[in-house]
Amino acid sequence: MLVLSYLLVTGITTGALYALVALGIVVVYKATEVVNLAHGELFMMGGFLAYTLHVMVKLPYVPSVLLAVAGSFAIGILTDRVAFRPLMKEGLVSVLLATIGISFILKGVARVLWGGKGDYLAFPPLVSPEPMRIGNVMIMSQQLVVLLAALAVMLVFAAFFKTTRAGKFMQATASNPKAAALVGIHVSRVYMYTFGVGAAVAGASAVLMAPLTLLYPDIGFPLFIKGFAAAVLGGLTSVPGAIIGGLLVGILEQLAAGFIGTAIQDVSAFIVIMFALIFLPTGILGMRGTRKI
Amino acid sequence: MLDVQHLEVWYGPTEVLRDVSFTVPANAIIALLGGNGSGKTTVLNAVSGLVAPRAGTVRVAGEDATGAAPHSMVMRGVVQIPQGREVFADMTVQDNLEVGAAVQQNKRAIRQDIAEIYELFPALRARRSARAGVLSGGEQTQLAMARALMARPRLLLMDEPSVGLAPLVVETIIQTVRDLRARGLTILLVEQNVGVAAAVADHAHVLRDGVIAYSGPACDLIDNRDVLASYLGR
Repeated sequence: MLVLSYLLVTGITTGALYALVALGIVVVYKATEVVNLAHGELFMMGGFLAYTLHVMVKLPYVPSVLLAVAGSFAIGILTDRVAFRPLMKEGLVSVLLATIGISFILKGVARVLWGGKGDYLAFPPLVSPEPMRIGNVMIMSQQLVVLLAALAVMLVFAAFFKTTRAGKFMQATASNPKAAALVGIHVSRVYMYTFGVGAAVAGASAVLMAPLTLLYPDIGFPLFIKGFAAAVLGGLTSVPGAIIGGLLVGILEQLAAGFIGTAIQDVSAFIVIMFALIFLPTGILGMRGTRKI
Repeated sequence: MLDVQHLEVWYGPTEVLRDVSFTVPANAIIALLGGNGSGKTTVLNAVSGLVAPRAGTVRVAGEDATGAAPHSMVMRGVVQIPQGREVFADMTVQDNLEVGAAVQQNKRAIRQDIAEIYELFPALRARRSARAGVLSGGEQTQLAMARALMARPRLLLMDEPSVGLAPLVVETIIQTVRDLRARGLTILLVEQNVGVAAAVADHAHVLRDGVIAYSGPACDLIDNRDVLASYLGR
């Protein structure tokens, strides 16, 4: 019982972070119909930006986080301006390939700046590593902070889409790009901000995850796979679906590791993707519609 | 208000518009008729900036606007109501209207415009919190019109507003078009339904094979068997 509750708590915490990664993937996919394969590397850049500001420049945690999220937003916008926007006219496959190119470039940049010889950088813990007891459940205070912060990011994100003008423009563009252009929305600019927002969410999930794990230039891909599994499970176009998918992937992964074997932990995301595609091709909350690529 | 000269549009290797010229005087209702594939929608899309013309000019209120981007055409007061309504189906009626004011900045003015729109279309007020996708065809047509009006247009481009609607609903659409003109708007109306065009338009142009094959007073169309038979295929 104690083992199960520990696994569930850990699963929910990492699941909430996967949900954030999935959220970024879904937002970009919904608006542009492109799966941003550089999303994991944007996550990695966000983590290293926070590391640089917090550990190397010695800024306090909160300003480092905010600056890292802002920096990720800027990198997302830059990738759109440099690579994606000029290729939009050539079709989605070109943009998809460009996202792979961007992922390699970002990884290369990270290796030059933050160590390319398998260095693993440790991010200092946020709060004392003492575990807390809530009822019968033991929880690391660190995990609790991360979980609450992840929920806060999701709420801010939902509020942004539901209430702000920019959020509504993004929703409208995702829903019907032609009609969006005809009401006067600058569609390519909305795409640019969408890539920025996606990257900012990736950065936010990275700074939350950094204290729980180690940072290295190749961290992006495994994280992307987990987030992508969560997004596919949720239907790829649904924000609540991405959150549920993230939590499910996180919990399944921990249960698989705890009851079957740790070797299966990292493969479990692939298994989830496989079963989701076979049995739930439109995801838990996805829309039934035609696929364009 | 709108002056189109020698418009030529290609989709890849296919010529869709060969040489289209017409004008829309201020506060007029001009109809553009033609069968399927005659290029009517392409004319609207070229004016709206959704497709770039290969040759020819588009002038709005005397200023050259050829090849301008869609959002810049909206800022010039040219707003298209696309065929099939194309409302933002996942968003509420109210949010559709707010997004319709994309080129407006003044929040108070936007709120006032929404209130005014609800006066004009009371059916929409009743369904303001409903998702646009669940509205009936007639309500969606009203929403598409209302959303376009939120941009404070001077020239409305309407693409087959009557398509797929019951005759009674078409009557109310005709009345709305007349009301909009009375409020000072200029309207370019693309139609397949000659009856609708004859009922509201001052003047009509018939497109065939990418050129304007016939022009004349709209009320003459209904009696003009030659035009109906040879150009519209009835």
